[in-house]
Amino acid sequence: MIAPEIAKQVLAEALRTGGDLAEIYVEDRTSLSLGLDDGRLENAVRGADRGAGIRVFFGNLVTYAYTDDLSEASLLEAARVAAAAAKGNNSAQVIDLTQRKSPLEFPILKPFDALSIREKAELLQKMDAAARDYHDAIVQVTVTYNEVQRRVWIYNSDGLYVEDDRNFVEVLGGVIAQRDDVLQRVGEGFGAQSGLELLDSKDVEAHMRDLADSAVRMLDARPCPAGEMTVVMCNGWGGVLFHEACGHQMEADFITKGTSAYAGKVGQQVASPIITALDDATIPGRRGSFRFDDDGVAAQRTVLIENGVLVDYMWDLVEARRAGRESTGNGRRQSFRHLPMPRMTNTFIDNGDAAPEDIIADTKYGIYIKRMAGGQADIARGDFVFNATEAYLIENGKLTAPVRGATVMGNGPKVLMEVDAIGNDLALDPGQGMCGKGQVARVSVGQPTIRLPKVMVGGTDEPAGGVMAV
Amino acid sequence: MSEYLDLAKRVVEAASASGRDVEVYISRDRELTVQMSRGQVEKLSQSGSHGMGVRVIQDGKMGYAYTADLSEESVERTWRAAVELSEVATPDEYRALPDPEPIPDEDLQIYDPQLEALSVEDKIAFLKKVEETTLNYDPRIIATTFTQYFDGTTSVYMANSRGFVGEYSRTGAGSFLFAVARGEDGGMVNAPGFGAATHWQKLDPEMIGREAAEKTLSILGGSPVPTQTASVVLDYFVGAQILAALAMAMTAEAMQRKRSFLLDKLGQTVASDMVTLMDNGRLPGGFGSAPFDGEGVPTSATRLIDEGVFQNVIYDSYTARKAGKRSTGNAQRNGHQSLPRLAPSNFYMQPGQLSRQDIIKGVEKGLFVISVMQTGGIDPVTGDCSMGANGVWIENGEFVGPVGGVTIATTLGDLLKNITQVGNDLRMVPVFGNIGVPTLRVDNVTIGGT
Repeated sequence: MIAPEIAKQVLAEALRTGGDLAEIYVEDRTSLSLGLDDGRLENAVRGADRGAGIRVFFGNLVTYAYTDDLSEASLLEAARVAAAAAKGNNSAQVIDLTQRKSPLEFPILKPFDALSIREKAELLQKMDAAARDYHDAIVQVTVTYNEVQRRVWIYNSDGLYVEDDRNFVEVLGGVIAQRDDVLQRVGEGFGAQSGLELLDSKDVEAHMRDLADSAVRMLDARPCPAGEMTVVMCNGWGGVLFHEACGHQMEADFITKGTSAYAGKVGQQVASPIITALDDATIPGRRGSFRFDDDGVAAQRTVLIENGVLVDYMWDLVEARRAGRESTGNGRRQSFRHLPMPRMTNTFIDNGDAAPEDIIADTKYGIYIKRMAGGQADIARGDFVFNATEAYLIENGKLTAPVRGATVMGNGPKVLMEVDAIGNDLALDPGQGMCGKGQVARVSVGQPTIRLPKVMVGGTDEPAGGVMAV
Repeated sequence: MSEYLDLAKRVVEAASASGRDVEVYISRDRELTVQMSRGQVEKLSQSGSHGMGVRVIQDGKMGYAYTADLSEESVERTWRAAVELSEVATPDEYRALPDPEPIPDEDLQIYDPQLEALSVEDKIAFLKKVEETTLNYDPRIIATTFTQYFDGTTSVYMANSRGFVGEYSRTGAGSFLFAVARGEDGGMVNAPGFGAATHWQKLDPEMIGREAAEKTLSILGGSPVPTQTASVVLDYFVGAQILAALAMAMTAEAMQRKRSFLLDKLGQTVASDMVTLMDNGRLPGGFGSAPFDGEGVPTSATRLIDEGVFQNVIYDSYTARKAGKRSTGNAQRNGHQSLPRLAPSNFYMQPGQLSRQDIIKGVEKGLFVISVMQTGGIDPVTGDCSMGANGVWIENGEFVGPVGGVTIATTLGDLLKNITQVGNDLRMVPVFGNIGVPTLRVDNVTIGGT
């Protein structure tokens, strides 16, 4: 994208005021988004965005300037702005740039232009019809198709030069069912880091019928009971639990500041011995995967918790330098307009050995969460919360009435110690996860079916008379 | 006339051949962000950027394309992409650009030249003051996180093929941090302090720092109370998060597309008579204020709920044409990358008479809610409203101890009806849109605990 000689000059300019490391991050992003709403294809957007950010490290200080003009003059000006913001006493030299390659293969079998825009639009129309035809109660449908190509080039004064090419396809469906005064909505998407082969591998109409079926079922839902009770969470997207309950607290910026409950706990038992959890950016096809992270560090698979023992946190370059160790390749940024920070990639709890149906059969009373909207974490307290969009009561080992408005809340470190059943049905989510931490990042979550013996469930109904646990 | 406005007009001219409706939106931004830890700047980012978005409508079919590269070649590629996309869209008889209307000539007080004149050092010193105020407040405060100062200037240039031409600039600055406190048992809590304004002079660093410290200390050591139905008093920052979801249920689009728990309720009493809700795109000094909206329509004030009665919704030009109404000027843009989208401008509840202290004094038994986790928990479609909460327990009008790890649940419909007191302390929060709410007392809320 930028000739290595020019990159070298820009890096030298960025180091002029005595910084110890300088970096150029170049990004070229193109996207197409088609939105069908109310039966009409009406939001059709094509985007092109590109630019570069210059980062300079002065000890623990990082300065940054970005530009959307990739000319040599403009890059040099950004380098001067970033350099002028601080003074260092280093005399670091720019080492010759050598391109590093990744062994990871993320093949694109069917490029984005293999289908015309019109063909993509027709696909959305079919999905809309599938949901509406499913049931008379379906009163509204939205379908969004996104394709994004994000190419990045990273150069730094230690001689690093890497490229990455990230291609995402995603399809998000949402349906609303109405009966008299009651509205219910269910939304779920699927997506991957891939080409259009994703659309061939998926029955998109069945996906919409499934959502319609959920929304119609939820019309009969009664208010969720409130209080402490047992919760069984589905596999796949249920992994939002680990993401919110523990994942954020294992991001290195909260560790180095000492504001996470997991700070200083490496080697200690922090979860039930049946839990092993990983963050793995190397999995082909997943949304959180890459060849190199946004610091230019090669993607890796990091064991976070092994048999309940804390093994490591998720590090980016800034926090790793601060702690005098290696990054785990978790530095991610939303775009060239942002500085990287430690983020999760594809994060999941590994398989256990229980059959998922046995976990439910073995539960006397509780809530089974089948679908949920997003969640949130309170890093300092270690609390998490997420909201179910499709949930059922479990009574005497059987799923009975659907319940609405269920919020599940707990303390992450405590709940992880208490997990008492893990299924053998590990799945990653269908590919729709977006994580917000000041910046937005695509992530995957995953888990087998798991059981939390005692968490807080927030609803509006009276708690059931004292029936608790297994 | 600026060169950006010239460029916008040139693109309109080039793209609007063969009777197409064309609208060009260019934004130019300058931004500064400073992040600090213990008096040391950790991250300092400063930059300028620009970009263009082109909307094309022909025969009721709409396409949009944007680019950050304003070279001649890229601009032509962009408007041609918008034309191509408009060809595959579904025709809709109500889809057209608005005709130009006169823009009232008044100073909305949204631009502060001082912000650009101040040095980066002045702004770093401001943030240092915020952080010091928090850290020195009490020894139990062990750290701050996400400690930031940010400011920026955005200039907007717009032209369309119906003859609209307009430009304006606005500034904004603010500071944000979480205070983290640790109790004797090692348990930690955090809560935010926050301030933002269009003008530098309106920012008070000590107030921001103190707010974070006070809120955090008040919830330190909180544990769940038994599950029960009780009153809650909502801090303004909590109320704003609920109102943000409520606002999405009060748009013409939510009505026309059956995405609102208030569907078919226009003209009916939907809230306590203490509730009056306004959207005002011309609020002086408001973060959501602008002379015209994202499609060139003059902004205006709309009374949505008047003393409990649901009177109006907000409109953009599309939903207005469909309903046979006038646009309220609520087409919002989130920069050049986004299509205009119907959303509130400055959305707020009219303040009442009581101070926060008076409201708390009147509560026999309930929770003063200081922070919530509500992502995905408030649904403007179903009206479901449940979230995690931290706060302070009130008995007989007095604070008796911190509460943490509970859920609070109601529905948006019940919440509106159960508002029994409205404070006199309206504060705008430009985080979730520009939303403002005074301290509120809501009765009959389910608190989920032990």
